[in-house]
Amino acid sequence: MAMLLAKKNLRALLRGAMDRKYRVVGPVREHGIVLFAEMSDPGALCLDELNTQNSIKEFFFPKTEKLFTYSLGKNDAAVADDFAPPRTVLIGGRACDARSLVALDRLFGWDYKDKFYFARREATCVITLACDRFDEACFCTSLGFGPRAAEGSDILLVPVEGDEYAVEAVTDKGRALIAEVKDVFTEGTPGAEKVAYPEKKFDLAAVKPWLERNFEHPIWKEEFLSCLGCGTCTYQCPMCHCFDIVDEGDIHGGARCKNWDSCQFALFTLHTSGHNPRPAQAARWRQRLRHKFVYYADKFGTEACVGCGRCIRNCPVCLSILDKLVLIGREAAAAPAQPAGAQP
Amino acid sequence: MIEQLRQRARELLGEGTVALVIGYGRGNSPQATFPVFIKKADEVDRLVFNPFCRNNLAVYLTRKDIMPKGAVGLVARPEEVRSVAVLVQEQQFDPDKVVLIGVACAEPGKEGAACEMLKGRTLKELEAEVAERLKGRDPAQEVAAKVQELEAMTPEQRLAFWEKEFSRCIRCYACRQACPMCYCERCIVEKNQPQWIPSSPRPLGNYFWNVIRAFHLAGRCIGCGACARACPMGIPLDLLNAKVAREVKESFAYEAGFDHEVPPPMASFRTDDEQEFIK
Ligand code: SF4
Ligand code: SF4
Ligand code: SF4
Ligand code: SF4
Repeated sequence: MAMLLAKKNLRALLRGAMDRKYRVVGPVREHGIVLFAEMSDPGALCLDELNTQNSIKEFFFPKTEKLFTYSLGKNDAAVADDFAPPRTVLIGGRACDARSLVALDRLFGWDYKDKFYFARREATCVITLACDRFDEACFCTSLGFGPRAAEGSDILLVPVEGDEYAVEAVTDKGRALIAEVKDVFTEGTPGAEKVAYPEKKFDLAAVKPWLERNFEHPIWKEEFLSCLGCGTCTYQCPMCHCFDIVDEGDIHGGARCKNWDSCQFALFTLHTSGHNPRPAQAARWRQRLRHKFVYYADKFGTEACVGCGRCIRNCPVCLSILDKLVLIGREAAAAPAQPAGAQP
Repeated sequence: MIEQLRQRARELLGEGTVALVIGYGRGNSPQATFPVFIKKADEVDRLVFNPFCRNNLAVYLTRKDIMPKGAVGLVARPEEVRSVAVLVQEQQFDPDKVVLIGVACAEPGKEGAACEMLKGRTLKELEAEVAERLKGRDPAQEVAAKVQELEAMTPEQRLAFWEKEFSRCIRCYACRQACPMCYCERCIVEKNQPQWIPSSPRPLGNYFWNVIRAFHLAGRCIGCGACARACPMGIPLDLLNAKVAREVKESFAYEAGFDHEVPPPMASFRTDDEQEFIK
């Protein structure tokens, strides 16, 4: 026997969570696009699209965050930094989205534990939907996991025959939520799984060594000319995590804000002298690839890419990180590295 | 048609008239086209043209990091022709350095719609040809209808509409990066001494940013829609720009991008202007 959830009970699950004072976040349709957003009504849940336009990072590492506020009086100053995120159910992410949380935990918990990020992580129960379809931009399987991976989820819903989900309670947080709204679940024998696996498209093991060896290579001159430097690929990416800190306010008071930033902006590396060590979009793309597949992997033991394909679907000039990874895979196969220890 | 286009590009590159041709190439699906940069005559077969070619290629003409020393050939739909007219008017490059390869599609975005080469060779000829093609036709009917809807609202309703739209803005500036007229080396939104526009993606700064951008495009925006298409958050920037363009047309009887030889309305004045502010 296993726990099952009829697809038609998905909204009842959310209703149950709302009744128990959870904030519910999930995909909703707004102005023609499907976005993760807070829902006031479970009926707004929209599962038409494979992936949302924005990523779930917004709900852990928001586009703007007040680190503290301050106010200045005549003879005194006050600083406030109280922060208590609401208890949240986040539904409708995919295995790639959930995996991004595990990978981001390593970054935000590395030398300094980011209290805002982890407070939200602790307050949020992540319900993931395993994928019953994929599109040409998906490449989770090329990164060594797949569309029904449970990592990062608190509850995993796997679509099975009979318009149902097989329910996997992954963490204690997930089990606690299930106990709170147990009426919507049934017991039974799940039908066959309806999970769709995209085919593997490149050899991940070849990417990092190739990038390490080829800081200079013709592809950096040829492949990225059309990039507009718009930053969409990084802002929509669940793994991109660069931020800028600015003070906003006046003499009477204000806030210190942590805002998203992007390595695809010329300004990102512009020195006050006017010198820019990454003078062209190609250099910024190289940084993007190297950060994701070399530096992050070295430091945190995993790539800073989960293969969700958002950057590909949203790029205004159709530049595809997947195409570039496939190209790198081909280049690497054509010119393999010297075996370790071999003398050039 | 595509053979004519490729032949023209082949000649320009082969004769050394241009060092680079910027055009459209085929993406992973027929509906997906993307900008390609062709440097050799034997690579011109990478060029395609179909109703799904929607990027405004004129955006690259002011990108110093990719423009070659020599001249550039640009596959130019009416949108590119008009953008180049504005950029030449604003003296952003030497017009002799840009060779236009005029193309047009009868119904952009519609599968199977007819595509053809434009006859004009010089900017002046192409401007006239494009003006003729667009005469009496409102290429952005849908946008115009939506603008009217907005105009019919009360100011409060309109404010509420835009507040909701701008609340989604993540300040990625994709709109700016995709726009040929947004070529400033240091955008006002990046100036921080003083910080004119709050940089956090919050309602005040978002409002500020989107409205200032629309103002800076007054009399310059040619309505290509690249900004709205690039916006990853689906904000209808085309409506905002179309509204400003309408105001400019009504006040100055001027539409951007049809004549590079006339002075642009926002950058010219008359000493005999009747209005007070000039004195
Ligand atoms: S989304 Fe595309 S055009 Fe924009 S910065 Fe990324 S790769 Fe460049
Ligand atoms: S780089 Fe692209 S595919 Fe990889 S996680 Fe980010 S948005 Fe998804
Ligand atoms: S429609 Fe948008 S991208 Fe095109 S010219 Fe106007 S502001 Fe620029
Ligand atoms: S592209 Fe859209 S989200 Fe990005 S800054 Fe412009 S309006 Fe805002």
